[in-house]
Amino acid sequence: MGTLRFILVRLLNFVLVVWVGVTVVFVLMRLIPTDPIEALIGSMTSQGTIMSEAALDEMRRVLSDAFGLHGSIWEQYGRYLYRNFVSFDFGPSFSSFPTPVSELIGRAVPWTIGLLITSTVIGWVVGNVIGLLAGVYPNRRLSKAVEFVAIFVYPLPYYVLALGLSIVLSYTFRVFPLSAVVIGEPWTLQFVWNVIYNSTLPALSIVIGLMGWWVISVKALSSGVQEEEFVRFARLRGVAEHRVLTQYILRNTLLPQVTVLAIQIGLIFSGSILTEILFQYPGLGTLIFSAVVQGDYNLMMGVIQISIIAVAGAIFLVDLTYPFIDPRIRYR
Amino acid sequence: MRSDIKPKVREEQMSAIQHKLFGLAIAAGVIGLVMQAPAAAQTTEVGTPRAETLIVDQLGGTVTSPFKANPYASITNMGQGGNQMAFSPLWEIHTPTGEMFPFLAAEMPKALNDDFTEFEIKLRAGITWSDGESFNADDVVFTAQMLLDNEDIPIRGVVVDNLESMTKVDDLTVRVKTTKPLPRFEKVFGSVIWGPSFRVVPEHVFRDEDVMAFDFYPPVTTAPYVVVDGDPNGNWKLWKKRDDWADSDLAVLNNGREPAPNYILWRFYGPEEKRVLAMAQNDLDVLMDISPDGWDVLRNANPNTEVWFPGFPWANMDDPCERGIHFNTRVAPYDQWQVRWALALATNIVDVSINTFNGMLRVSPLNAPPIQVLMETYHQPMADWLGDFALPDGYKPFDPDVALRIAEWLRADGAEGLPETDEELRALFGVGWWKQDTEKAAELLESVGFSRDDDGKWLLPDGTPWTLFINAPADFEVLSQRLAFAVANVWRAFGVNVEVQQLQGGPFWTNYNTGDYQAGSYWWPNSCAVAPDLFHGLETWHERYVKDVGVSTGNNRERYSTPEISALIDQIVALPSDDPQIVPLWTEVLQELVVGMPVIDMVGTSKFVPVNTTYWKNFPSSENYYEGPWWWWTTFKVIVGEIEPSGS
Repeated sequence: MGTLRFILVRLLNFVLVVWVGVTVVFVLMRLIPTDPIEALIGSMTSQGTIMSEAALDEMRRVLSDAFGLHGSIWEQYGRYLYRNFVSFDFGPSFSSFPTPVSELIGRAVPWTIGLLITSTVIGWVVGNVIGLLAGVYPNRRLSKAVEFVAIFVYPLPYYVLALGLSIVLSYTFRVFPLSAVVIGEPWTLQFVWNVIYNSTLPALSIVIGLMGWWVISVKALSSGVQEEEFVRFARLRGVAEHRVLTQYILRNTLLPQVTVLAIQIGLIFSGSILTEILFQYPGLGTLIFSAVVQGDYNLMMGVIQISIIAVAGAIFLVDLTYPFIDPRIRYR
Repeated sequence: MRSDIKPKVREEQMSAIQHKLFGLAIAAGVIGLVMQAPAAAQTTEVGTPRAETLIVDQLGGTVTSPFKANPYASITNMGQGGNQMAFSPLWEIHTPTGEMFPFLAAEMPKALNDDFTEFEIKLRAGITWSDGESFNADDVVFTAQMLLDNEDIPIRGVVVDNLESMTKVDDLTVRVKTTKPLPRFEKVFGSVIWGPSFRVVPEHVFRDEDVMAFDFYPPVTTAPYVVVDGDPNGNWKLWKKRDDWADSDLAVLNNGREPAPNYILWRFYGPEEKRVLAMAQNDLDVLMDISPDGWDVLRNANPNTEVWFPGFPWANMDDPCERGIHFNTRVAPYDQWQVRWALALATNIVDVSINTFNGMLRVSPLNAPPIQVLMETYHQPMADWLGDFALPDGYKPFDPDVALRIAEWLRADGAEGLPETDEELRALFGVGWWKQDTEKAAELLESVGFSRDDDGKWLLPDGTPWTLFINAPADFEVLSQRLAFAVANVWRAFGVNVEVQQLQGGPFWTNYNTGDYQAGSYWWPNSCAVAPDLFHGLETWHERYVKDVGVSTGNNRERYSTPEISALIDQIVALPSDDPQIVPLWTEVLQELVVGMPVIDMVGTSKFVPVNTTYWKNFPSSENYYEGPWWWWTTFKVIVGEIEPSGS
């Protein structure tokens, strides 16, 4: 019963968080001073189209129907909840009308997940391992060098870091493409190789960008943990050093790191906007940027909602897995 | 001891072998990746021969729905060749002269009656669609009827508004009845700026389709190129020359001359930094609309790159839209001409030009952009009138020597190759602008109740602090964005509290359309024109377009007109574009707009559109002005027909 109650409470929390989140998104989108139809007309006419007022009114009528912007705010909210929780249809994209938002998101999600999960996990693992070793052996020259590099990389603005990598590895040495150009039929060998080739530089920029923080934070945590009495006691008992490192220091160091990792993975669903724009990577970041620029709030709501569900879902899963990582929670 | 040493040696040997294997693996990976990198420019990234491929930057960035080409069913981003290649206009603009010429049509439309409500259109013979079917009157009539019959098509306003019927006379002749007199038929149904509103689609492809559900991809086109491949993520699209290119519209227009590129690749590399790098390493032949700073980097990195002029001021100055500060004239205090004129006289236009685009701009005191043809038609002929123009109290605000002062500043800054004579300098930097006279500006403000506080800041007539908000585009239209900040600086120095609000496209246009703004660094449509007949843009100053604040409009968003302007426009719309009365009448409209000053027009638009001559030559330039560098317009095809391989 205790376990069931534990799960049910957290499930209820999850549902509540998602509902509050999507409602806030709905309200916020209506507060943005953008009318998607006026934005579209402005954008079209700025390219050279001149229409009479009658023609513009006709266009407004057609687009209002097509965009589903008719009815009171409550009717729109009702349709919004139905679309999002029952039919899972976010409606048409205003800027790419009549393409459905779900199609655009479906196309972008695999790219973002592929890039960001891989690079986040690699950054997390490598950063934590290096940070742990640097924390446990703080006086070694290599540890000091690693800490110096991490402290140097961490405050670098991501844009500068990524552009610097581009200049060195795409312009000066032409090892990687300047921006993603994927060719080949989906899931052929050529396509897969192309995706890996095109993703390497963006992934590298994320790994380097993230590693600085992981190294610094784990080094600080592990330095503290290894001064704890239970570690000292284990060493005095003659426990092998690698066991002390992995079973005593690492496990206690990892707890906060796992939480941050879970939140980071959840945030992946809103995309890494700078990375994707800089490398023209076709993921959710590029999509949400274009939605914001063009006032496409169906698309904005779709991407943000996916992100809300992902973050809430990741925290829900972390809540459920905590007892396995930390016995103290299990005992409580 | 020996037994202790041996395993260690073995471990060291193993370690060395592992290291070598690891090193080899890394080296193999790196070499593999290097081989994947663009192979020394022999081929493009998509595998076409580089020397046969024209690579063009995608204006507008990534296309989110790249596999939709139906121009009527979807709000399609046309920047991957849709506008430039897929849909040719019946009549096209020749931007150097502002004159129109027949493109799909064989001749200019012939009016069949005196009130311009019936026309005959002759189509070019010998054009085929890319699937081999003939282009003929059936396609034109079908397109018109499809638009008239389908209420769900969002982009059909021009046709519904103007067209009563269109009928086929024979395969190459169409007869048209309009809903109202239309002496500018070719301008309404052709392409004046960017592209046409009426795009002919193939009848044999569309007739059995539901137009609103049809993607029309790959598009069937009359152009010499067809889409052969594309990126589902919208970052590139490849067009290939048709085998039957001789039957395409461009080849027929050019008397059978073959366009040189075998492939045209539209490619988007990302932010300006990336696009500049791409051209620097010869991965782009045409680069759209970059900043002067980007051009500085590029010309130093790649000596084969060129822009419009071979030296200062580098940029093309003939973009058909000029920039300035537009006012919502229905919102106090900007509903008073004294306030708008005071702000004009508080402006140091030399500082604004320098701080916006390093002085590489042509100033404009008129509501007609200072492009070459309009400089000759309006700016230079009106210079005497501008000099004599006086405010109601007799004050003459015009300063004819602005160009000389801009040149003086530029020379002091090290610019070389500037013209020597005053006349040449005025031709380059503009005929003049309004004086900066802060005393007169203060007098005008005080005349309508403004006052200053102890710090010299201006107060509104009710005694509250005056804060002026200027809307500016954020991260697009860089010239308008920079202009807003440059203007804000000079007005702040005059004591006005100015806030620049940078807005993304959505709120930027929404506020403009609904009148929810005070002032903005806007430009469209009533600061745009490309021909001596300023109709396409300035007709919107008529009072019929003026709406109340809160009521959306897509035209006169300054909500300004006068009975005099409306009466003049009424006379103009009844005349054809080539009537001798057109220029004198528009001259009077421009004079009325100077008097009322609903827009403080400031500078023409300078466009940096670099081209790369490594693989292609004979691009348009100031010394080879056969067409403007408007690669995102339908005039793209005309340029493609002229360029030649450079032999690299």
